[in-house]
Amino acid sequence: MKNTRLFSLTFILTLFCIHFSFGQNFTVSGYVKDERSGETLIGVNVFNKKDIGQGSSTNTYGFYSLTLPKGEYTLKVSYVGFADKEITLNLTGDVQQNIEITEGVALQEVVVTAEAKDKNVTNTQMGTVTMPIESIKKIPALMGEVDVLKSLQLLPGVKALEGSSGLFIRGGGVDQNLILLDEAIVYNPGHLLGFFSVFNADAIKNTTLIKGGMPAQYGGRLSSVLDIQMKEGNNQNFGIEGGIGLISSRITVEGPIQKGKSSFMVSGRRTYALDIAQPAISNTKFAGTNYYFYDLNMKFNYTFSEKDRLYLSGYFGRDKFVFNAKERGFKFELPYGNATATLRWNHVFTPKLFMNVSGVYNDYDFKASGGQDIFNFNAFSGVRDYNAKVDFDWFASPKHTVKYGVNYTYHRLTPNVFSGSNGDTTFTNSALVKPKYAHDAALYFADTWKANKLFTLEYGLRLSAFQQIGPYKSPYREKEYGAAEPVKTYYGFEPRIAGKYNLNDVSSIKAGITATSQYLHLVSNSTSSLPFDVWVPSSDLVAPQRGVQYAMGYFRNFENNMWETSFEVYYKDLQNQIDYPEDYVNKPAESVETSFVYGKGKAYGAELFIKKSKGKLNGWLGYTFSRTLRIFPDINGGKEFPSTFDRVHDLVFVANYQISKKWDLNANYIYSTGRPFTPLKSLFLIDQNLNIDYASRNSLRLPDYHRLDVGATYTPKPDKVGLKSSWTFSVYNIYNQQNPFFVYYDIKGVLRQGSAKLTAYQVTIFPIIPSITWNFKWQPKKRVI
Amino acid sequence: MKKNTLYTFILIAIGFIACEKEFTPNLTETADSVVVEGYIEAGRNATPPYVILTKSLPFFRELPSFNNVFINGAEIWVSSGKDSIRLQEICWQSLPEVFKKQAAQAFNLNLDSIPKDFNFCVYVDQSLTMQGEVGKTYSLNIKTKEGQRLSAVTTIPRTVKIDSADFVKPPGINQNDSLTQMRAYANDPKGSDYYRYFTAINGSSYIAGRNSVADDAFFDGINTRFNLAKSEPRGSGASFDTYGLWRRGDTISIKFCSIDKAHFTFWQTLEFNANNAGPFSSYTRVKHNIIGGMGIWGGYNATYYDAIVPKK
Repeated sequence: MKNTRLFSLTFILTLFCIHFSFGQNFTVSGYVKDERSGETLIGVNVFNKKDIGQGSSTNTYGFYSLTLPKGEYTLKVSYVGFADKEITLNLTGDVQQNIEITEGVALQEVVVTAEAKDKNVTNTQMGTVTMPIESIKKIPALMGEVDVLKSLQLLPGVKALEGSSGLFIRGGGVDQNLILLDEAIVYNPGHLLGFFSVFNADAIKNTTLIKGGMPAQYGGRLSSVLDIQMKEGNNQNFGIEGGIGLISSRITVEGPIQKGKSSFMVSGRRTYALDIAQPAISNTKFAGTNYYFYDLNMKFNYTFSEKDRLYLSGYFGRDKFVFNAKERGFKFELPYGNATATLRWNHVFTPKLFMNVSGVYNDYDFKASGGQDIFNFNAFSGVRDYNAKVDFDWFASPKHTVKYGVNYTYHRLTPNVFSGSNGDTTFTNSALVKPKYAHDAALYFADTWKANKLFTLEYGLRLSAFQQIGPYKSPYREKEYGAAEPVKTYYGFEPRIAGKYNLNDVSSIKAGITATSQYLHLVSNSTSSLPFDVWVPSSDLVAPQRGVQYAMGYFRNFENNMWETSFEVYYKDLQNQIDYPEDYVNKPAESVETSFVYGKGKAYGAELFIKKSKGKLNGWLGYTFSRTLRIFPDINGGKEFPSTFDRVHDLVFVANYQISKKWDLNANYIYSTGRPFTPLKSLFLIDQNLNIDYASRNSLRLPDYHRLDVGATYTPKPDKVGLKSSWTFSVYNIYNQQNPFFVYYDIKGVLRQGSAKLTAYQVTIFPIIPSITWNFKWQPKKRVI
Repeated sequence: MKKNTLYTFILIAIGFIACEKEFTPNLTETADSVVVEGYIEAGRNATPPYVILTKSLPFFRELPSFNNVFINGAEIWVSSGKDSIRLQEICWQSLPEVFKKQAAQAFNLNLDSIPKDFNFCVYVDQSLTMQGEVGKTYSLNIKTKEGQRLSAVTTIPRTVKIDSADFVKPPGINQNDSLTQMRAYANDPKGSDYYRYFTAINGSSYIAGRNSVADDAFFDGINTRFNLAKSEPRGSGASFDTYGLWRRGDTISIKFCSIDKAHFTFWQTLEFNANNAGPFSSYTRVKHNIIGGMGIWGGYNATYYDAIVPKK
């Protein structure tokens, strides 16, 4: 640790040649919290009422720091969904000022200060969307399951396979998103083949998606960052909230341990659809067959002093599938899931220097076991990381806000290790397929420089290094590496730059270039990401993926920021993209990477976004034109082909209308170009059977996709004991559009017996689906001890 | 297997809401490929080479009649290095009745169910001068009437035998005593080997199942015991409860073959293609070993085994 700090100091001194004048400036700093729960708030604007150019916003931990010349000020604190607050202070020295703000009773009642809500225009970063969990909960959800990832799919530039929680962002694959839950990487964010995400909305405080210019503190993935923070737990009052839905139920308990100082939050969710069906299943020959998943989120925090705060958070989730066929003595079990643990320490060195130290452990594992008679098998794959990082936020001067830090991870990646027995014969691929080990380190710095009232530049650099280490035996070189012996080292030089120029008070133009490197890869042979897919590290066989994104945008707000609009264009260049060859078949005796083929990709597009964030009627309209193309010498004869998530046109409309305090109506409409797929080209006769010969990859598209979802939320008045409940009714795909999920071919008859008929069918798996969910929140009127 | 089980289950689970309708794709590519299916066999029943030449069939709801898929009038040569022979085309309609029976047996045709205008053409070595020999490499050269040229090479690898086999009660609580499971024993020699097998019941022709090939990646150079499933061909509608089990009292025959790697890969990709056409899986392109066309030119080194499944 000492070394790291020493290193960090040297780092600042050598990398920066910025002249800071301290003169008669003083700093006001502290945390911004929700008055009712004591939760720290992220991204709250704190600025000088008289000069909005003098402002700061809270970081991921709710800390702000604002340096101003000596004098009297009125500071304005503004945050969407909360009432604005003004604080008057006489700045004659550094001031520690924690601020508590109150949630607006309803969105339209919030006192609005025009200048404060113009983040759309004034923020330097492009392609960044923060979704407060409350607005996510309002969107009509499939089967009533509120889903953080699926609500992000309604944003321009984000695509998905229907019903799947996987995100394809600006032409990137599902593995190219850095998904963080309290700083821990979530390697598989999906339950049930990805139809539901692992994030239980009740346990989540904030979700930020960065589609474009990834700031330098993030790395390791090419496309995007999805940074999710769990709730800290109410440190004022004890409370319970939960819900009962069609397929799952949830419960969250939170409260203070020591009022105002420490709190906890525990949240759980479990599905039960098939548990309820057990009596029916037990009468069939598949008795004992079941599928369920659950999530458990926990968080605990303790405030030692104004300067020190400690957080401990964890997530544990599992999917379990059991298949039983007693009559054939066949049993198959498949448990998989993520576990993460994060310990964080926030320390305020000076009013201007904030530090966070984190230790993160995460583990994703997938197991499959089964057997019949003398044949038994076990398969295991997984990722286990030990991560340590130190991040500094240095609010250096009114003009410069600097972030810098180091990050180190030790990876152990276990590919599909397979073992089994067939009577007396045991077999395993463990001699050929072994876990791989790697060091993964990065250091970064980024400076946000407010050059003048009009121009802001955010420039940064991330230097990354990835080293595969032994024990390892190279399949090509006759060399065996011992434990910890370096095998192959890769470096990444990743400059990040973003600039903003204010054209006037209501409009700005922004541009940015982001270079990224990715050292871990999840290569999928299917259209969706599946738990069977294996994370593979860069190694002497697999080179890192590299990407550069160029983006530009025009941002303008109208009518006192009631309307936010933006128009962004981007171009992405992707190198060392990985795929399976077209004739790939599962070979359990070999490492998957021996089958990989490599190519290039490019993606470009334009995104239009119009948002109305105030008033009884609010929502947004997003339109995206985009192309995502790949070139692989070994696929499609080296000819360019569209990727599976290439949708040329994509239109999304989301609306929320508050009829009264009790009733809320919601709707969203989606239209997009059909997904490309690889069609049948011809049939050929072998062994008197007809076989399928496929045409070029993704050379045909499914019909265009569209659907409308509607929902209504009824919130009766809270009863006397403090129980606040609500009913959510929703209908997914209300006009029952038969959107094809996939196409298959059926051959009827036998050719040699006279006639055969070939028919293609499209299968819709999500027709009209109504659902109902009951949610409740209970907080005693008086504090429970 | 594990993937399929899960898919099946998930699809059953969502099946109550899923619906399907016919889909008419717009085809952007047309296909006009020559499909080769040719074999040469060494061993007890060593056979001369033969080749079936067909056209690939473009996507049409009504497929052309079987008689119209054969490519006639091609020049086909097979060479073993020193010797080279030309294959002659014979069609079903021109066969004398006596040979029809033999041909029906060889190609697994049921004479009673064959339509009257049925035709079937095959190129064979009528001189019977060339027979498959272990260790030899055979090249195939084809020139169609239209001038298309195709070629392929195959090798007949070393002999590997099934040492013995026995029959045991199938696992599970299946009360059906009339079925049994076969366990076979073999000694796999050191080095990569590839296998394909066929089974026949009560004197019918040999047929290959849906998973007819294996390599020795997991049992290279060792004595191994494995379940030998009765071949359940595609479209046979075999039930999960009886899949691969043998009926007691039946007279059964097994043809167990060593094949070369390209031959193995062809069947491996073809069977994977046929067995994995699910919603989540990607397509698999069959890896043909024919240059200039599609299909397989394969050498077999076959050993044959006959048994009567014990009644008790």
